[in-house]
Amino acid sequence: METLDKLQILSGAARYDASCASSGSRRQGPSSDIGNTSQGGICHSWSDDGRCISLLKILLSNDCVYDCAYCVNRSSNPVPRASFIAREVVDLTMEFYRRNYIEGLFLSSAVMKSPDCTMERMVGVAEILRTEERFGGYIHLKIIPGSSSELVHQAGLYADRISVNIELPSQESLKRLAPQKHKQAILEPMSFIGKEIRQSLVERRQSCRAPRFAPAGQSTQMIIGASPESDFQILRLSEGLYRKMNLKRVYYSAFVPVMEDNRLPVLAAPPLLREHRLYQADWLLRFYGFSAAEILSDDAPNLDESFDPKTAWALRHPEFFPVEINRADYGTLLRVPGIGVTSARRIVAARRFSVITPEGLKKIGVVMKRAKYFITCSGRPFEKLDRPPALLRSRLLIGDGSGVAVQEPPKQLLLPGLFA
Amino acid sequence: MSRYLYDGTVEGLLSAAARIITEEKDPETAVLEERENTLFEEGMFIATDAAAAEVFFQRLRRDVPDAASTFYYFVLAEKEGLETSLLHYLAQALRYGDRVKGNLTHPAVRNVVTVSRKASRELHRMKGLLRFEKLRDGAYLARMEPDCNILQPLALHFSRRLRAEDWFIYDVRRRIAARWHSGSLQIGSIEEFVAPALSDEEKRIQTLWQAFFRTIAIADRKNPGLQKSNMPMKYWKYLTEKQGE
Ligand code: SF4
Repeated sequence: METLDKLQILSGAARYDASCASSGSRRQGPSSDIGNTSQGGICHSWSDDGRCISLLKILLSNDCVYDCAYCVNRSSNPVPRASFIAREVVDLTMEFYRRNYIEGLFLSSAVMKSPDCTMERMVGVAEILRTEERFGGYIHLKIIPGSSSELVHQAGLYADRISVNIELPSQESLKRLAPQKHKQAILEPMSFIGKEIRQSLVERRQSCRAPRFAPAGQSTQMIIGASPESDFQILRLSEGLYRKMNLKRVYYSAFVPVMEDNRLPVLAAPPLLREHRLYQADWLLRFYGFSAAEILSDDAPNLDESFDPKTAWALRHPEFFPVEINRADYGTLLRVPGIGVTSARRIVAARRFSVITPEGLKKIGVVMKRAKYFITCSGRPFEKLDRPPALLRSRLLIGDGSGVAVQEPPKQLLLPGLFA
Repeated sequence: MSRYLYDGTVEGLLSAAARIITEEKDPETAVLEERENTLFEEGMFIATDAAAAEVFFQRLRRDVPDAASTFYYFVLAEKEGLETSLLHYLAQALRYGDRVKGNLTHPAVRNVVTVSRKASRELHRMKGLLRFEKLRDGAYLARMEPDCNILQPLALHFSRRLRAEDWFIYDVRRRIAARWHSGSLQIGSIEEFVAPALSDEEKRIQTLWQAFFRTIAIADRKNPGLQKSNMPMKYWKYLTEKQGE
């Protein structure tokens, strides 16, 4: 088979993986001949669905011995199969990198024969890139659940980031939909990687010659909407992964029904809005100081479709508002709908020079059409602040009649890591 | 209010800013403009003094590194008519330190920071969108037509990344090029550009990339609006994946 045909099959099979971030690692210097990675991450193109393309994202093989219900590549599905040899992937990566098409490689794979046999070949690709080609660009390797810790260890030495997909948010769902994958086979490498990363950081503090282990950290991904878990269960899981396993990112991928199976729900369309809301809530966990229990509860276990999670929280907590722009601390400002990390920082910076006026607030980039119901500026409110919650909800939803309706259902997959 | 004129060069701008900031009692009311050589121009002309400009820029870099880099990007943006804002911004920065950058409610600061962000944003974008093609002699060539004059910092970025290759980056509109050749970087203008022949394998690699670009998109999620807002059409001309669309 020609490389072109393989590329089409194996990049097509990889496209549902939501992870596209290439940031968080800085690799530079004379240890390599070509390439470095850039701390902020670089997008090289945007595909027709509007997503950032930063890595050559492909599978080494789609020839799977497993039979996961939600996956196109499952063994019982009659699709064309292909496998790369290591050299093909290496050449594609190098040729694309030299032309500045990509930041590096994101290699995943179906399970060929056995987890170890697959993992070994994947590590082989990374090894050739780093040692023979002296490639210093970005490499992300997916860990195949169930592969030996020796191989995971090697993967971490060559790659900038390694990840194990959690796939589904609970063990029951895993058992039902991915019967060959066991919770242990997923969690064990995750905690092993967590330990290795921590240890390498400690060693590198003592000696800069100590080997780096996955310097950009560990991430994972789960499929949303293929199984019955609530948003609350999902967020609590993510919270645990961030806190206990030291994960850098959790990616959520709306379930795209690619095949019929009576174990799978019938969806009219992929749950994109839900995915979008989960990313927003995840953002609150990581950067806004929220906990999962603040965002959702057992009584209201799913994210509001009409409001972003922060606005929804604000509506449930009238006692927290109004927030005084000229006095509130950073953490408090962050909780105001319409104020993001950037504008909160700018407010704190601008306050040092002068009192912030309503005019100034707009220039700083605060989204006033949402924020105005929740703030005062030197004691003066922008809007009547004691509106009954129902009225406030409808105002926020349709605007105050002065402009057009503000609520547009988000159409696109939100690109994590691209707005800061 | 005093009016000053300078000759329109970057050194001239720095020389003038240096003089005004050190000699004027209240530099933040002064006005600085480029000399147009009309008969009726008012204002005192400040001659360009390359040494003074250098000293002043070093002072910025040492005392207010943020303002120095803001100044750098401001110049790359090639935006005319904002010299007075720049002067006031620099005066503020030297008086209050780098934190003035946060003072976006100040009109001069805002003007300067906005313009300078435009250049730094385009530079960042171009680091991703630049496309090299392999030439018959083995070197690589990239062409571009950016709004801002970002060739120099862009070439520096690639000199750290594509160290082992020989390459050129050519700014088609400004007719300037950067050349990386056996480990050293040169920048100069190009009188006449003749498109060199591509290497034989180039077409094959480009086809592979175009195939990847097509297959990676999820058909159900087509979103040309988002694609264009992230990757404005003005950059498509030299994008390998957008050829023949
Ligand atoms: S192991 Fe991976 S590739 Fe194979 S069927 Fe399951 S999800 Fe698909």
